[in-house]
Amino acid sequence: MSRPTRGGIAGMLLAGIYASAALAGFLAPYDPIEQNRGLAFAPPARLRLVDASGRLHLRPFVYALVPRPGTFDYDEDVSRPYPIRLFPEGAAHRIAGLIPSNHHLFGVDDPARLFLIGSDEYGRDLLSRLIHGARISPVAGLLAASLAVSVGLVLGGVAGFYGGVTDQVLMRCAELVMAVPWLYLLLAVRAALPLALEPRDAFLLVIAVIGTVGWARPARLVRSVVLSARTRDYVLAARSFGASDARVLRRHVLPEALGVAFTQLALLVPQCILAEVTLSFFGLGVGEPLPSWGNMLAGVQRFHVLASYWWMFLPGLALVPIFLIYYAVTDVLHRHLVLRAP
Amino acid sequence: MTRYLVTRALQSCLLLVAVSVLLFLFTELVPGDFLAELRLNPGISASALDTLRERFGLDDPVAVRYWRWIQSVARGEFGFSLLYERPVGPLLRERAANTLLLTVTATAVAWCLAVPIGAWSAGRRGHLTDRVTGVVLTALLALPDLLLALGLLLIAVRVGGLPTGGMTSPRYSTLGFAQRAEDVLIHLFLPASALCLTILPTLVRHVRATLIETLDAPFIQAARAIGVGGRRLVYRHALRAAANPLISLLGLSVASLLSASMTIEAVMSWPGLGPLLLTAIQARDVHLIVGVALASTCFLLVGNLLADGLLYLADPRVRTESP
Amino acid sequence: MTARGLPLLVAVALLAGTLAPVRYAAPSENFVPVAGPHNGPGARSAPGRYWANQPRALPGRGPQRAFLARWGGRYQGQSPWLVWAADSGGPAAQAEEFLIAAHEVGRHGGRLVVTQRAEPRTLNPVTVADAPSRDVIRPTTADLVHINRETQLTEPALARSWTVSPDGRRMTLQLRRGIRFSDGHPFDADDVVFSFEVYQDPKIDSPQRELLGVAGRPMAVKKVDRYTVQFDLAEPRAVGERLFDTVAMLPKHRLEQVYREGRLPEAWRLGTAPSDMAGLGPFRFQQHLPGQRVALERNPYYWKVDRAGGRLPYLDGVTFVTVTNEDAQVLRFQAGEADVLARIGAENFAVLEREQTSRGYVLKDLGPGLEYSMLFFNLNALPGTQGAIAAKQNWFRVTAFRQAVSAAIDRDSIVRLVYRGRATPLAGHVTPGNRLWTNPQLRPPARSTARASELLRQAGFRMSDARRVVDAQGQPVEFSILVSASNPVLNQVATIIQSDLGQVGMRVRIVPFEFRAMLDRIFKTYEYEAALLPLGGGDGDPNSEMNVWLSSGPQHLWHLGQQQPATPWEAEIDRVMRAQVSMLDASARKRAYDRVQQIVAENLPFIFLVSPNVLVGARRDLGNFRPAVLEPQVLWNVDELFWRRPSSGPSP
Repeated sequence: MSRPTRGGIAGMLLAGIYASAALAGFLAPYDPIEQNRGLAFAPPARLRLVDASGRLHLRPFVYALVPRPGTFDYDEDVSRPYPIRLFPEGAAHRIAGLIPSNHHLFGVDDPARLFLIGSDEYGRDLLSRLIHGARISPVAGLLAASLAVSVGLVLGGVAGFYGGVTDQVLMRCAELVMAVPWLYLLLAVRAALPLALEPRDAFLLVIAVIGTVGWARPARLVRSVVLSARTRDYVLAARSFGASDARVLRRHVLPEALGVAFTQLALLVPQCILAEVTLSFFGLGVGEPLPSWGNMLAGVQRFHVLASYWWMFLPGLALVPIFLIYYAVTDVLHRHLVLRAP
Repeated sequence: MTRYLVTRALQSCLLLVAVSVLLFLFTELVPGDFLAELRLNPGISASALDTLRERFGLDDPVAVRYWRWIQSVARGEFGFSLLYERPVGPLLRERAANTLLLTVTATAVAWCLAVPIGAWSAGRRGHLTDRVTGVVLTALLALPDLLLALGLLLIAVRVGGLPTGGMTSPRYSTLGFAQRAEDVLIHLFLPASALCLTILPTLVRHVRATLIETLDAPFIQAARAIGVGGRRLVYRHALRAAANPLISLLGLSVASLLSASMTIEAVMSWPGLGPLLLTAIQARDVHLIVGVALASTCFLLVGNLLADGLLYLADPRVRTESP
Repeated sequence: MTARGLPLLVAVALLAGTLAPVRYAAPSENFVPVAGPHNGPGARSAPGRYWANQPRALPGRGPQRAFLARWGGRYQGQSPWLVWAADSGGPAAQAEEFLIAAHEVGRHGGRLVVTQRAEPRTLNPVTVADAPSRDVIRPTTADLVHINRETQLTEPALARSWTVSPDGRRMTLQLRRGIRFSDGHPFDADDVVFSFEVYQDPKIDSPQRELLGVAGRPMAVKKVDRYTVQFDLAEPRAVGERLFDTVAMLPKHRLEQVYREGRLPEAWRLGTAPSDMAGLGPFRFQQHLPGQRVALERNPYYWKVDRAGGRLPYLDGVTFVTVTNEDAQVLRFQAGEADVLARIGAENFAVLEREQTSRGYVLKDLGPGLEYSMLFFNLNALPGTQGAIAAKQNWFRVTAFRQAVSAAIDRDSIVRLVYRGRATPLAGHVTPGNRLWTNPQLRPPARSTARASELLRQAGFRMSDARRVVDAQGQPVEFSILVSASNPVLNQVATIIQSDLGQVGMRVRIVPFEFRAMLDRIFKTYEYEAALLPLGGGDGDPNSEMNVWLSSGPQHLWHLGQQQPATPWEAEIDRVMRAQVSMLDASARKRAYDRVQQIVAENLPFIFLVSPNVLVGARRDLGNFRPAVLEPQVLWNVDELFWRRPSSGPSP
């Protein structure tokens, strides 16, 4: 009985991520596009309880950072501690897109900055960018992956179920989709679009592109399962009772393929989020200065970041637990929908 | 069976033609052409550009260009690469061999690792070890190819001993046969590892998921009840029953042999098809793009045919299109 | 030599050029004869082997500083070039007239490994148009008169001297006698005449043709005797001898037949057998491994020697390895698998700097190069279909608007954040890296949002309640900047500009585009609002910039295809640029170009941002490593480079 509970936890966590996206403006300590040019590549803040004179503070605090001239190295200015405050005032935002507010969950007084996981090359707070990125990437990833997998499920199911000419036509279409070098075609896609893309359009576009390209693999996998599922005894029995094709397909055949479909879904979500890295090369992603996980990851794939600024990868690391949650959720859905299915 | 194969071959040819036509049509829509970059060079006159345009026939109608390409295919050249100033066919053969060396090795290793890891992980579903494997593989999945390749190169530089990219060392041509093989193998290690690590998570995930499904199936429970256990249960019975999606996946692996390693090849300077396609796309070298695309399509077709054949063999109930 | 002292010296030198016929090189009676086994015909590689084994076989051969090639004795030890010739030595009919290089004497042996970002495509010096191929071809060829990459001045090469007629229309070149192509065949005036016939042939339309044609008309090339060639220009041309730089002399005996058959553009591919090719450069083609590398080997017949009489080059060969990714290139260099590194970004430079000592390489920051980045607005005459952009052009065409944008940009932040301090803010298009032509009067504008707002107000813009700049019709000012998606550095610059302009109330959107798709918009469809591009290169002389600044020029990026100059200031630039071409008085020419720079800086068709420093590196034990800001930055003196360590070349 512990399994549904685990699934429940995963589901709640997932819901939490999407909810936090709605509250991003409040949860994030800073405006994600605010540049602090004096604090570029600032390392993660050191939270302290004991100050330079050895006194213990009950409230965690940080010191302000002072750049060493000509470098991106910083010294702490220990003359004044900046305690972490709850609900300080800061950049204006709207909670859930509706209620205007300028309070944030936490922060420190100016002029100090609280960069919990460091700052990027313009001195923008990485944590705020990560939180704001959650408004775009997980949604886009999930929608794109779902689109690809559902199209794949339907087409693969139909191809496997009917076989013959239907199967051949659909599978050749899948092959065509897989055979075409999409990088090249994306150039044409971008050329056909308006010069500057609104972030919302870019968002929908990413989903559409991935959905169009991504259905072929799931379709082939689903088809392979359906091919044998349709010859199972209970399917033959159902058909002999006069059940319609649609009903047999929906009730008896496709559920067999759900396992594969869910696995594909769980694998595709991360791939879709990473696909934005490639798409941004063609000007198809969510552009600067708005944060998305895709463009945050695209920016750090450089040797000098790898060699010098390890904290720039923390947002990327944050993806791992999120992907794990996706797996847990798809696992649970799989278990409920497939293994308990008739 | 023969009839099936003939039909399939005909369909494949049709598909190849479709891909080439589609790509030529897209050249009309893709902005920029082969000479676009030269316009930025103050040292090259407008008239020189016009001469080149005419020499390359860039302004001809698309049908004329397609016909010229078809003629070239008929001559066995598969087009002429403006970028490399030579026929596409031999160019592809050189590079495809290099890519296959890399991808076949990496894919084979990945499959050899994925099946045991997946099976083992499915067998101890929910255990700590399964979870840890899951986390590690997920981390790999969250790592973009480019970053993985760069990271491995960085480690190679720090640790030393392994070459940082390329396929052969500069003294290659002075070496004997055995040393040459060794030289290539040393250079192969990093890109193959990188590629293997990018393929692995997907495979393991699929193996594990399909096995979990079959391990819960009644006939496996029954087998377990009569005392068939452990490894034998997993490999002899469960794996066979779970074969279908895995066979399709194998087909897809074969299908992507020419295209899977593009980023890694580019970062690790592996002289394969990946960098060739990337530069061809950047340079709008149409014949080369079509050539690479058709070569990958051939592998795709072979891979899928292989998968369909295996599906038929593995489960005779599957009567695909064949009689 | 200090950067400040140089223009003066140059001015003196150029003034000297105006005096009726001046000999730029030594009269032959001053030449010191050299005899020795190295100018015998021998086997193809015999001379090389001789020197490789006995690098100091000819100690103390004669007074080496026979004659300073160009500068007389004025800067002893500064000018690296000495001219030295030989009378008949070995059994060869004609002795070789060597050029003596005054650099540090090195030792022979070893190989240099160089990485390239793209594969070379051809070995044909006539049709070559891409940088990687040019880098490979350059060491295999030689020109008549060469621009020294270090001093940025011309110096004798295959021509040991030249004279210019007082009207500046006739140049007479004396060729070096007795020198040979890399296949052992002698080089003489016939090769020169043949080469120029090929380069100026409209049917071949070599990329060099336009540069050679003065005022659109080709030069008349005439052989006077076996070692004298005469060039007649259609119009006088300032520093005409600069035309000869990098125009590679071709072997008539190898190429004439294919040329007559019309197959020259297809000749000398990467697949060509090395034995079918010949050049006059320090190296010759050895081997090509597709997708991986091109190897060059030492040319045993090369026409330069060092002060000790050793024939150059020192290196046994150069290998160009293709490494398409800059980061991978840097890693290779760090790992010791590549010996030199050029064109690297400041971030990577910073990383490399940390391990400079432990890994045995040196890095050099040469200061600003000739390249610059700039933002420009679309001022083209647009077809009626592009109403949205045309409406915005009403802002872009206002000079004060462009000045306001320029004033709002924080160039210091760009330098510090994007280039790690290794770049220079710019006021005009001639960077401080151009030693001869920079206009020192122009100062890069300091960032001032107040000035930006003031300029906008004067131009009829105002601030809306929402802190946005609106035009007289109340339309909020917003535009997009096109930038190449594959250039992370310029994308960062764009992000900074976006934020800067946001602070004065303009909304800017960054549109990353694939590079060729972007060029298509800039050159063909004009569907863009503003764009960010790097520009530069050339040899630094104003003549190489004609196509950018003439209003009818094919690289007049902001407004292409003009029949008549669209603005008075473009008309003035046209006038001055056309006039300076034939000014033989160097200081007048400098004044003219200063004026052009001033007009450009005031009207800002390009909003100049920064000029990145040229950053290079090499193994510590590479001798004579003297990088320069002109291309090829590290390999310009590849014939002089040598390995200090006794073992030959880099460890495998």
